[in-house]
Amino acid sequence: MNLDVLAGCVTTASCFVTQVSTGLIVGMLLFLVASGLSLIFGVLGVVNFAHGVFYMLGAYFAFAAYEVTGSFILALLAGAAGAGLLGIVFERFFMSRVYGRDLLMQLLVCYAAILICDDLVKIVFGADYKLMGMPESFAAAPVEVMGGFIPGYYIFMLAMALGIGAVLWLGINRTRLGKIIRALAINPQMVGALGINTRLLYAAVFGMGCVLAGTAGALAAPVRTLTPGMGLSVLIESFIVTVIGGMGSIPGALVAAVLIGLTRAFGAIGFPLFTDGLMFALMGLVLILRPSGLLGTRTA
Amino acid sequence: MLSVENLHKSFGGVQATRDVTLDFPAGSLTAIIGPNGAGKTTFFNLISGHVRPDSGRVVFDGADVVGLSSLEIVRRGMARAFQVASLFPSLTVREALTAAVTAHQRRSWSLLSRFPLGQSRARVEELLELLGLAPKADLVSSSLSHGDQKLLDIGLALAMDPKVLLLDEPTAGMGPDERWRMIEKVHHLWQARRLTMVFIEHDMDIVFKYAQAVHVLKYGAVLAQGTPAEIRRNQDVIDAYLGTDHHLAVATGEVPA
Amino acid sequence: MRTGLARDLGIGLLCLVALLALPVLFPHPSLRDFLIYVIAYGLLAMSLNLLVGLTGLVSFGHAAYFASGAYVFGLLMQGGAVSIPVAMLAAVGGTALLALVIGAICVRLKEIYFSFITLAFQMFIHSIILTWVELTGGDQGLRGGIPRPPFLGIDLGEAGTLYGFCAVVFVLCLLVMRQVWQSPFGYTLRMIRDNPARANFLGVDVVRMKLGVFVLAGIMASVAGIIMALFVSGAFPEFGFWTTSGEAIFMIMLGGTQVFLGPVIGAFLLQLLNHYVTIWTHHHGLVLGIVILAIVLGLRRGVADYAAAWLAERRAASRPAAVPGPAETPAPAETKAVG
Repeated sequence: MNLDVLAGCVTTASCFVTQVSTGLIVGMLLFLVASGLSLIFGVLGVVNFAHGVFYMLGAYFAFAAYEVTGSFILALLAGAAGAGLLGIVFERFFMSRVYGRDLLMQLLVCYAAILICDDLVKIVFGADYKLMGMPESFAAAPVEVMGGFIPGYYIFMLAMALGIGAVLWLGINRTRLGKIIRALAINPQMVGALGINTRLLYAAVFGMGCVLAGTAGALAAPVRTLTPGMGLSVLIESFIVTVIGGMGSIPGALVAAVLIGLTRAFGAIGFPLFTDGLMFALMGLVLILRPSGLLGTRTA
Repeated sequence: MLSVENLHKSFGGVQATRDVTLDFPAGSLTAIIGPNGAGKTTFFNLISGHVRPDSGRVVFDGADVVGLSSLEIVRRGMARAFQVASLFPSLTVREALTAAVTAHQRRSWSLLSRFPLGQSRARVEELLELLGLAPKADLVSSSLSHGDQKLLDIGLALAMDPKVLLLDEPTAGMGPDERWRMIEKVHHLWQARRLTMVFIEHDMDIVFKYAQAVHVLKYGAVLAQGTPAEIRRNQDVIDAYLGTDHHLAVATGEVPA
Repeated sequence: MRTGLARDLGIGLLCLVALLALPVLFPHPSLRDFLIYVIAYGLLAMSLNLLVGLTGLVSFGHAAYFASGAYVFGLLMQGGAVSIPVAMLAAVGGTALLALVIGAICVRLKEIYFSFITLAFQMFIHSIILTWVELTGGDQGLRGGIPRPPFLGIDLGEAGTLYGFCAVVFVLCLLVMRQVWQSPFGYTLRMIRDNPARANFLGVDVVRMKLGVFVLAGIMASVAGIIMALFVSGAFPEFGFWTTSGEAIFMIMLGGTQVFLGPVIGAFLLQLLNHYVTIWTHHHGLVLGIVILAIVLGLRRGVADYAAAWLAERRAASRPAAVPGPAETPAPAETKAVG
C-alpha cells in the first residue's frame, strides 16, 4: 500500500493528468472490446468466450501489416478486417453449429478456438514478446496539459474509440439496419418472415463484434507488448465492464470502461497488489445493488 | 382464505391490473374468466409473489403477503399450476412427485439419507392414485402426453399440500372430450381435498357447470362477479364476450385479438 | 435404499482393489504416475460435474478451488507445524470458505453469466497467486518441495504408499459424491437443473441449494488439489489457470455428464491424449483444440452418455412392451439465452 504516493499523485497536476490519460486509453480499449461482446450477446444470445482471441489477432495482424507496409493506417485496417473476417468464419463454421445446444458445448467450442489460435500465433510469430513501436506520424512531442504530458497517440486513440462508439450507437439506434438488428434480437422468426436472411445477419453481427475487438487490438499494438494469450485478461476485464455497465448498453459500457481504466491507472500507484481486488469488489457491489448494471435494463 | 384489495400493477405504462378487489372464501371453487389480455395470468403472478404489485393488499390465511417472496408464499400454503405444464423433463413422474413432497417436508437438504425417503413414499403413492398416474409412474415426465403433463403439473402443486391452489387454464390445449375429463378430475380433486381452488378457464360451459363463483376480468379490471347464473345473465359480460365491445376494440386495434 | 448403498460400497471397494492392483500387475513407474494424474484430474472433473451435470451450473472457474486446496495444503506443510491430516482438513476448510464467499455472489447469476463470473473470479485468484510472490513464489510456484512427515505409521515419502493413500482418498470422495448424487439433496438439484423456476414454486430455496452444492464441489476440488500437491511435491499457478478449468470441462463432456463415473472416463481419455500429444508435438493446444472441436461437433456427447443411450436402446428393442426404467436421461439442451 502506498496511499501517500497515491495522495501525492492526485494532488499533483502533472501526475494526475498522466494517470488520467493512461486510465482513459485503458478504458477505451476495454470499451471497444466490451461493446463487441455486448453486441454479440445482445443479438445472438451467446457469449463469445473467444472474444479475447480477436483482440489478440487484431494486434498481431496490425503488427504484421506494419512490418510489411510501414503504414499505420493499413495496419489498423488489417487488424480490424482480419479479426472481422476470421470472426465470420468462426461463427459460420463453428459457433452456429452449437446455437441452442448446451452451454457446455458453446463453452468448449470457444475454449478450443482459444487454444488453437494462441498456438497458431505462437507458431507464426513466436512465443516471445513482440513490440510494434510507435508509428512515426505520432512521434511528435507529447501535448502538455497542466504540467502533465499526454502522447499524441493517446489523443488519437481516445478520438478513434469515441468516434467508433458514436457510430455504433447511431448505427444501432438510428438506422434501418440497426432497427432490423434490434428486431433480430427480440424475434428472429419475424425478421426471417420479412424475407431477411437471418443467418447472414447473425454472421455479420458476429463479425462486427469481432471487428470492434480487432480494432481495439490494432489500436493497442503500438502501446502494448504482444504475446500469445494476451486476449484473456482483456476478455475478463471487458466482461467486468459489461456487468458493471449493463449488458447490451453501449453508454453503460463506456462509463464502466472508463471507471475500470481509472481504477487500474490509479490503483497501480496506490495499491498495485489490490487493483484486481478493487475491480472485483466493484463488480460484486454492482451485482448485489444493481444486478442489471449501472445503465442496463436486462437483469443478469 | 384469500382476498385481494385494490390491487394495482402496471408494466411500463400499460395497466395490467387495475383496482382489483376479490374474495375467495375457504373451500370455494372459483373460476376467473375474461378475454385474452384481461390480465388473468398477471393476477396469479401477483398473488403468488412472482410479480410484486404496485399497490394493494393480498391477504392470505389472515396475513398480508405482499412483498413476501414466492418461496415464502408457497411455504404458507399457496401452490400453483401453469398454463404450459411446468415440469422437470428428465425426472420420472414418481421422482418428480417424490422430490416435490420432499421439498414440502423440508427435507431437500437431506444429504445423509437416500432418495426416496421413506416418509415421502405414502404421500407419493396417494398422489399417483389420486391423479390416476400410477401406471405411468416410471415414465420420464417429458414423454407423457399433453394431458398427463398438465395432470402432473397439478400433482406437483398438490404435493405442497396447499390451502389454496391456483390453476392457470387446466384444460388449455385439449380437445373437447379431454377437456371434460380433465375438469372432472380437477373437480374431484377439489372435493377430495377440500381446498380453496381458483382456476382460469376459457370454456364457458365448463365454467358454468363446475364453478361456484365466477369473477370476470377485462383489461385488468373486475368487470363482474357472481354465481354462474348471475354471470350468464350479466349484460356487460355478454357484451365483452359475444358482443360489440371486444370485437370492435380488436377491429380498431385497441387491444390485440 | 439400503441395497443401493451396499451396492455403491461394493463397487467402491472393487474400484479400490482395481486401482491398487494395477501397479502391482504392471510394475512400471510411469503407470503409477499416470494413474495418479487420472485420480487427481478425475476427482476435479467429478466435483465439477456436481455443478454441471447434476445442477446445470456450468462453472468455468472450478480450478480455483483445485489450486486453493493445493496451495493451502502446501503452505501449511512447508510451515512444518502441522501433520498431513490436519493440513488436509485445513485446506479443505479454507477452500470451503473461499467457495462460500465467491459462490454467494456467483449463484445469483444465471447460465452464461454464471460461467463468466466464475471464470473471472478464478482469474482473480490466479492473479493473487502470481502477484503475492513472498507467500506463493509467484510464477515459480511453491518451491523447495512439500515435506511428507509420516503420520499414524503411514509414510507418504514412499512412492507406493503415496499412491495407495491417494487411491483410498479418491475412492472415499467418489463414495461421498455418489451419496450426494443419490440423496434427496441430489434429486432437488436435478429439479433445479431441469426447471429452477418451477422448483422455486415448489418451495425449494434455489439460491441456497445452489450455494450448497457450489461449496460441496469446491471442497471436492480442493481434495483433488491436495492429491496433486502431494504427488508433484509443489503447487503451481497453472493449477488455478483457466486452461485447467477448461480441461476439466472437456473431461466432463468427453466422458459424459449424466453417467456418474463419466467424468473419470473423460479424465482417463484426456490424460491418455495428453500423454501421446506431448510426445509427438510441442503444439499441445493446437492438437487439443482440434480434438475438442471434432468431438463437440462430431460426437456431440460424452462417451459414457453415448454408451448409456446405446444400452438403453438395445434394452428397449429387446423388450418392446417394457416400460422404460428410471434411467437418467440427458438433460434437455438449454435454450439459447434470451437475446
